[in-house]
Amino acid sequence: MRIKVAGIGLTKFGELWDKTLFDLAEEASLEAIQDSSLKPPDIQAVFVANMIFSKVSNQDHLGATIASQLNIQGAAFRIEGACASGGLAIHLAIQSILAGTYQNVLVVGAEKMTDASISEVTSALMGAGSEAERQAGLTFPGLYALMAQAHMQQFGTTREHMAQVAVKNHYHASLNKKAQYPYEVTLEKALNSPCICSPFTLFDASPITDGAAAVVLTSASTNKGVYITGSAVATDTVDLSSRKSLTEIEATRIASQKALTQAGVKISDIKVAEVHDCFTIAEILAMEDLGFCEKGEGGKYIEKGITKLGGKIPVNTSGGLKACGHPVGATGVKQIVEIAQQLRKKAGLRQVEGANIGLTQNVGGTGATVVVHVLQS
Amino acid sequence: MSSPVKIWRQHKKLHNYLNKVGRLVVWTKIYVAPAGFEHQVPYLAGIVQFNGERLPLQIVDCEEKDLKPNLKVVTVIRKIGKAKSEDVIEYGVKVKPVQGGSRV
Repeated sequence: MRIKVAGIGLTKFGELWDKTLFDLAEEASLEAIQDSSLKPPDIQAVFVANMIFSKVSNQDHLGATIASQLNIQGAAFRIEGACASGGLAIHLAIQSILAGTYQNVLVVGAEKMTDASISEVTSALMGAGSEAERQAGLTFPGLYALMAQAHMQQFGTTREHMAQVAVKNHYHASLNKKAQYPYEVTLEKALNSPCICSPFTLFDASPITDGAAAVVLTSASTNKGVYITGSAVATDTVDLSSRKSLTEIEATRIASQKALTQAGVKISDIKVAEVHDCFTIAEILAMEDLGFCEKGEGGKYIEKGITKLGGKIPVNTSGGLKACGHPVGATGVKQIVEIAQQLRKKAGLRQVEGANIGLTQNVGGTGATVVVHVLQS
Repeated sequence: MSSPVKIWRQHKKLHNYLNKVGRLVVWTKIYVAPAGFEHQVPYLAGIVQFNGERLPLQIVDCEEKDLKPNLKVVTVIRKIGKAKSEDVIEYGVKVKPVQGGSRV
């Protein structure tokens, strides 16, 4: 499988009071189309990734709304798969090219989260959980806190291990102008910030973010540029308590094995990765479930600095969801944008040397949907 | 909060969950609540292992310091969230420690 990443576009991530969802989607889309050297009429289909906009506004029908705004009259779809909406939209766009239906498609992920109150956003996000979880008053921070506690009980993972994820990703974000929080934090600050749900402090959680990311994917096949060579989705129960294990996201393992097989590469070939660190424990789980380290060793693995810029496999060079920000529908597309920049050697101060194979892992809910992509240059 | 018809459907099944004993697996104390639960913060929620199934449930009648893995808990029926003045009051299942402290 070889799908060309022909163009990329990304807005600033943050609290963007003066921008609407549509401003953000347009900005990222036009940047990606321009970068691809195509014109809007050349785009035959638009895949819009969005999770909560219909809940916090009155506007649905996002496919046609955004396509028409871009003067594109081809097919248009809105794809929702919780925080994996972006990865799912990329996956579906790839399938439409592989099927031979379209040759040039646009994928745009966008989310406008700061117009709503914290409790409205928290409730809207809990739409990705189960009915029983909502009845228990659980939140996404709460559910990941339960996974963190299980990991602490079973493997001795510590709050310091988790805080190291935040410190590393803030360091990476300090090198990324598009990041919501482009500054470093100390381990002490991360550990001593207010508790949001035990054992998490504020710095264990990704923020509420406005932002958009877009890519143009094409069937064009030359030897130049960046290609997606593996794309796989796996699912599991939406309800966390119904899973076989609370310390593993099995769908990550299944999707990554499929995507790596498609690409014909091994996990040890990956030079740079963007993983779904919606909470610090999630990056620890991702390291284990993707196979970068043994189950239970994720905390110690990150502590060694292997995944920090300059280490063997830099992870979340963008700053990740934690520090670059997490506009939920856009995240999976932003991960592709970051890896494409790395493989084009255009990542500036956060460039990973020798980056020629990269991976993205995008998670919906507590692991009910996982999308993994492999990119190569 | 849930619609009246949804509450009506769920209430019919509530008796199946009465007085079930289980063991606490993991828990968290939540400080930032979704809409309808803001008045309860901070509150405890966790995953409880019953015979053959695990469920996510709110934990009441105790403090976080009273909790430990494998703690014996029992199901109770309590109000879920906070109904607005003209809403139907929603009841559901929560757990409390079997030898718990005073009522919260």
